[in-house]
Amino acid sequence: MASLSYREKTLYASLVAEILVYGPYFFLHQQNSVNKVAGMIVAIIVLQVVLQLVIAAFTRNRTTDERDRLIELRGYRAGYLVVASLMVVGLAMLWFHATMGQIHLDNPHVGLHFLSVFFGILVIADITKTATQIVAYRRAL
Amino acid sequence: MPAIRNQIRELRGLREITQQDLADRVGVTRQTVIAMEQDKYSPSLETAFKVALELGVPLEQCFQYDPKGKR
Repeated sequence: MASLSYREKTLYASLVAEILVYGPYFFLHQQNSVNKVAGMIVAIIVLQVVLQLVIAAFTRNRTTDERDRLIELRGYRAGYLVVASLMVVGLAMLWFHATMGQIHLDNPHVGLHFLSVFFGILVIADITKTATQIVAYRRAL
Repeated sequence: MPAIRNQIRELRGLREITQQDLADRVGVTRQTVIAMEQDKYSPSLETAFKVALELGVPLEQCFQYDPKGKR
């Protein structure tokens, strides 16, 4: 860990937090609800704050520079592309299924299902952003 | 071959400056100095000038541009 910069350490911590919190939500078969989504958002914030505080406490040099900022921008670009692409696909599927009469938009369960799907898109984008930044630190820019 | 190459490692060795010392003087992280030395990162013009200044050489002695190199 000594060869990692402060930013890299925080990125690995973010990835761990994201997998720990989001993993059970998406990969354990369970009934999801608005309360679970809200609980998860609180959990990820608390876990991120705790992990960032621990890393900050044990890292002497917390300098960030132009390379860190460039890598951060690349991560956000990758995350945005994922959000934009999956939103288009998601909306197209919603339109397709609604047109075919397979789903009824006035059904409250459909709303909850799509909330879960769009929340999943944000999670995938966030993980993509973090993973892209981690890879960028290891590759030539 | 990368488009921008540099002699940071050699010049730093001649002056017995550590990567951390150079990083502190230039205002970047040690990991960025390592990435520059391995030709994995082309710094901004401002950082390139600062590196050359700290190593006591003109910019073109520290950094070289190869138009046939990979970006």
